[in-house]
Amino acid sequence: MSAAIEVDDVTIAFDTAKGLLLAVDRVSFQVRRGEFVCLLGPSGCGKSTLLNAIAGFERPYAGHVRVGGAEVTAPGPDRGVVFQQPNLFPWKSVRANIAHGPRVRGASRAEAGAIADRLIATVGLTRFADASPHTLSGGMQQRVAIARALANEPEILLMDEPFGALDAQTRAIMQENLLQLWSSISATVVFVTHDIEEAILLADRVIVMTAGPGRILETLEVGLERPRAVEASADPRFVALKRHCFELIRRESAQAFEKSAA
Amino acid sequence: MRALTQPVPADIAEPRPAPAVKRRSRGALARRINIAVSVASLPLFVLAWELVARAHIVNAVLFPPPTVVAQAMADWVRSGDFTADLLASCARVVAGFVLGSVCGVIVGVLTGRIGFFAALFGPVFQLMRPIPPVAFVPIVILWFGLAETGKVFLVFWGVFFTVWLSTHLGVQKVDRGLIRAAQMLGTPRRRMLWEIVLLGAAPTIVIGLRTAVSISFYTLVAAELAGAFSGLFYRIEIAQQNMETGQVFGGLLVLGLLSLLADRGFAALARRLVWWR
Repeated sequence: MSAAIEVDDVTIAFDTAKGLLLAVDRVSFQVRRGEFVCLLGPSGCGKSTLLNAIAGFERPYAGHVRVGGAEVTAPGPDRGVVFQQPNLFPWKSVRANIAHGPRVRGASRAEAGAIADRLIATVGLTRFADASPHTLSGGMQQRVAIARALANEPEILLMDEPFGALDAQTRAIMQENLLQLWSSISATVVFVTHDIEEAILLADRVIVMTAGPGRILETLEVGLERPRAVEASADPRFVALKRHCFELIRRESAQAFEKSAA
Repeated sequence: MRALTQPVPADIAEPRPAPAVKRRSRGALARRINIAVSVASLPLFVLAWELVARAHIVNAVLFPPPTVVAQAMADWVRSGDFTADLLASCARVVAGFVLGSVCGVIVGVLTGRIGFFAALFGPVFQLMRPIPPVAFVPIVILWFGLAETGKVFLVFWGVFFTVWLSTHLGVQKVDRGLIRAAQMLGTPRRRMLWEIVLLGAAPTIVIGLRTAVSISFYTLVAAELAGAFSGLFYRIEIAQQNMETGQVFGGLLVLGLLSLLADRGFAALARRLVWWR
């Protein structure tokens, strides 16, 4: 079995006024083709930095990130990214935002428009195809951002706390929509979150990380059958996993607290 | 918990309208008075000016009353000079503004985004930018004589640095999220510069362009100082030499109105150009 993503002994550091700041410390994991993996951890644990390294926005200080066997050196259309903020082009309509990827990669106006219209229907925004992004709600904007990331038919979808800025109800709906959407495509997903329930609901595998510097604490197989809905959170196995994650993170943050207090 | 917190904000917003009605009516009255005052402001000012000049409180030759200014302007228009002067000045402003803006935006995108161009042009531009365009009048006369090129050059000079700086800064401030989104979609480098970066910086660029509209009128005055045969400020100079103070004031008035119209017109245009802001 070939890994879609290989993170091999990766260290990422930032140059700051106080010297090198270690964000990710010798992290290794692999993601299988078609797998849905969540990186779970408190804020500042380097999970977004790690995702940025897979996306090609950051270069590791040491170690290797490989996608499809090739070293990642720059961002590319084989890896669609959905950010915490929608980051839509404000001067483009919903349709033009989604069509941008295919257009810059050489698709004709008609081809790109057809791709966009199909995805607009998939995310349920047909009525808003010609709307300007700033007229949409946060949840709708994020649906456009997901459709835009999928327009290039990437093999890998990288999601950086995409529902973090949404209210609880919208977030639950978006999670179910994402699961539905994912079941219809074959993409490999890496999804960053600090929300334990979100991670368990979505993922095949949850990688729990610790803060300062970011390391892998434990990797959990979720093993709940699909298709899943928000009701899965009542399943005893879900509850047990949740409690386990909660304990892991609590023990870790208590240790970090003692270390910083000492 | 979540279900409980939801309806609260709607309830809080309710119990206020009773006192607000009274406050609104008092506010509306004050607003109406202010509107009336602002409408009367200009006629009152003109009337006061007329009375002060007619009452010989000031020297009416140096401070001609509005009626004299109006007469001078009517003569100006009738002689046909007005149209020629207006067209000559507008042509200089428009040519200098367009050239300066286009060059300023292009160079600004390059220096704001590409380190090599910033290193190449940055120090030179920072040195030249603070020199007031008026100071270039003598050398411009030597370079271009009394030709139109020199006048357009002066306006260009004033506009270019303002637009360059605002573009340079605007480009550096473009939301990193937009750049990253464009990168992951596979946007090629050239399209990144001239579509994503340029439009991302457009709201800041437009502020620089609007400042440059006013600057192009300042530099127009300098340009027509450098020897001209027509133009609004040229006419003011000629009138000054002939002690035609009515004409001088008329010229100032037209310059002010034209500059105001250009500024407002540009602001309206800018709102359409960067409608998403």
